[in-house]
Amino acid sequence: MKVALIGAGQIARQHLTCLKALPEVELAATCDLSPATAEAAAERYGIRAWFTDHRAMLEKARPDVVHVTTPPTSHFRLAVDSFAAGAHVLVEKPATSTFEELETLVRRAQEAGRHLIEDYNYVFNHAPQEILRRIGSGQFGAVTHVEVLICLDILGPGGFADPNSPHPALTLAGGAIADFLPHLASLVHLFVGPHRTAQTVWTKRKPSILPFDEFRAVVDAERGTAALGFSSSSQPDAFWLRVYGERMQATANLFETRLTFDGPRNVPKPLRPFFSGLEEGKTIRRAALSTLLRKFKGPGAYEGLWELLARTYRALADGSALPVTANHVLEVNRMVEALKPREQRP
Amino acid sequence: MRALVTGANGFLGRHVVAALLARGIEVRAMVRSAARLEALGWPSSVEVFRADLRTSRELGRAFEGVDVLLHLAAVVSGGEDAQFAGTVAGTERLLGAMATSACQRLVLCSTFSVYDYSSTRRILDEDSPLHQAPDVYTRDGYTISKWWQERVTRRFVEKHGWDLTVLRPGFIWGRDHAYLAALGQQFGRHHLVIGPLTRMPMTHVENCANVFALAAADARARGQTLNVIDGPGERIWTYLSDYMRGSGQPGWPLPVPYWLAIWMVRLAFATVFRRATKVPSILIPRRLESRLKPLRFENRRLRETLSWTPPLDYQQCLVRTYGPETPPSRGVGAMLPSTGGSGCRLAD
Repeated sequence: MKVALIGAGQIARQHLTCLKALPEVELAATCDLSPATAEAAAERYGIRAWFTDHRAMLEKARPDVVHVTTPPTSHFRLAVDSFAAGAHVLVEKPATSTFEELETLVRRAQEAGRHLIEDYNYVFNHAPQEILRRIGSGQFGAVTHVEVLICLDILGPGGFADPNSPHPALTLAGGAIADFLPHLASLVHLFVGPHRTAQTVWTKRKPSILPFDEFRAVVDAERGTAALGFSSSSQPDAFWLRVYGERMQATANLFETRLTFDGPRNVPKPLRPFFSGLEEGKTIRRAALSTLLRKFKGPGAYEGLWELLARTYRALADGSALPVTANHVLEVNRMVEALKPREQRP
Repeated sequence: MRALVTGANGFLGRHVVAALLARGIEVRAMVRSAARLEALGWPSSVEVFRADLRTSRELGRAFEGVDVLLHLAAVVSGGEDAQFAGTVAGTERLLGAMATSACQRLVLCSTFSVYDYSSTRRILDEDSPLHQAPDVYTRDGYTISKWWQERVTRRFVEKHGWDLTVLRPGFIWGRDHAYLAALGQQFGRHHLVIGPLTRMPMTHVENCANVFALAAADARARGQTLNVIDGPGERIWTYLSDYMRGSGQPGWPLPVPYWLAIWMVRLAFATVFRRATKVPSILIPRRLESRLKPLRFENRRLRETLSWTPPLDYQQCLVRTYGPETPPSRGVGAMLPSTGGSGCRLAD
């Protein structure tokens, strides 16, 4: 399967490193407005062609799949052109700037008989998948509530809040935090399904060029409720996922490998907290070591991207169901749309 | 003569501006839009052009009336991709703008990091092997982006027939920038010193700036690639002792022979870290070599080509670094024509 990538900076290296390792994939071309960026990516990953014009690339390389890893405001037209050239599109989140663009994109994909896949990499990290397995096995019980909270310092120099070079994500409704909404919404969708209603609080605690730096939301979804949040001020950096089931509860930090479960035990009820604490401590110690080893031996926190791409290319090769479908993308982005602020300033 | 200086308010840049002024060269200083310039004390003759090489659309205007570009700007912090975007794509945009102007002369600030230390034996000079692709991509983000910056620049120069001087400074040190990567690894207040008797390729920032100003003005620099170091360099142990004494930082240096460190790191890399994504550079053999491999460093070509000797010797550099503060505008040989107030002219 011939694969091309448009937008060879930033997250592209994670995609290319993974694609290089997939047996179904032949990396055919890279494309970037910066010739050096496109050429460097091609040279580094042994890709035979590089371009600065994506239309020329689509015409000459004829890829089966295009990865779009440019800033979000350019995703729409690049994906439209890729569908027109007969390629499936795997697009970085957020897939489009607006929900209307996404609906158009899904329609174009259907008309072309191609697939649109948005990168929900954290959904495919080990922790959410393990929680999902336990839910599937029945031991977790039905999920009643899920909490997802990202604590990330995006106000530091050189990042989203760089006053010298405004980040492209700042043009999105919600600013830099909007860049993370698909992560939050895709995890909520995974455990409690499509949303019905959402209530949000968007605020700004610190002076910066960002329109908002704090976000909280409560969502009523088809199979339960959810609380979502993003904090630029709370430290250390963490990506907390808590899933509450009828028989068990799970806590994970997706920036690490920490995953703990708490559930019923065959001990007298007064002793349950004691034994739970012992087991949780043991699990966290093991997770500390495996987080360290994960950094040394693999893709680190991007493990979910590797899993998503492996499943996607297996499905494209054998015609089985994709891990992320167009309907899935629409449902997640309907939730994202409901979470966005009504005004671009608090 | 008018010079455009990118990265003009950076650690090296502010001293280069002073050195150019001292030679009577007019300066247009390119700085980012949010840069604070008050503390630099630039005279009003310095024309400030505010732009960001990553995003500004009107870089062409910066070259109006410019005879020589001194390109010092580079992104040296943040992730590998951010460094590449800022340093390499930024250089593409800058030189693309230069191609639309009458400016034909360029002095590029490169680095010792473009040399392949692993393949270099005994002496490192301008004839030493450079990194090659794809091996260069196993190096750190700074090395990759600076190697690519030089590559992109040489391509532009070849295409447009410009006059190029590439200056490759070693470790640049000076006030508030005295702790060097070659000193080993800091653990809290203490220092693991790998190869304490190794000499470092180093240049004090004022000596280095003096070379840049000389290269901009002197026709003998055209077409040359020159390493910029003040001499054979100080031993790591000596420099660290001076650093700890000068900065008043307490702590203990722990010496480790280089051969022991490199073999331990090679063993760890072969067994544990081979596919690592986020391991400190010091634990990756080739990166350790590029920081600490014991080699001899020479500046013979610089001395012979430009008849240059460093204006400040090591003892004077220590005073400049740790002694009472001297404003950059009164740096080496800074006989300013007229300081005429502290304001700067704004061009953008």
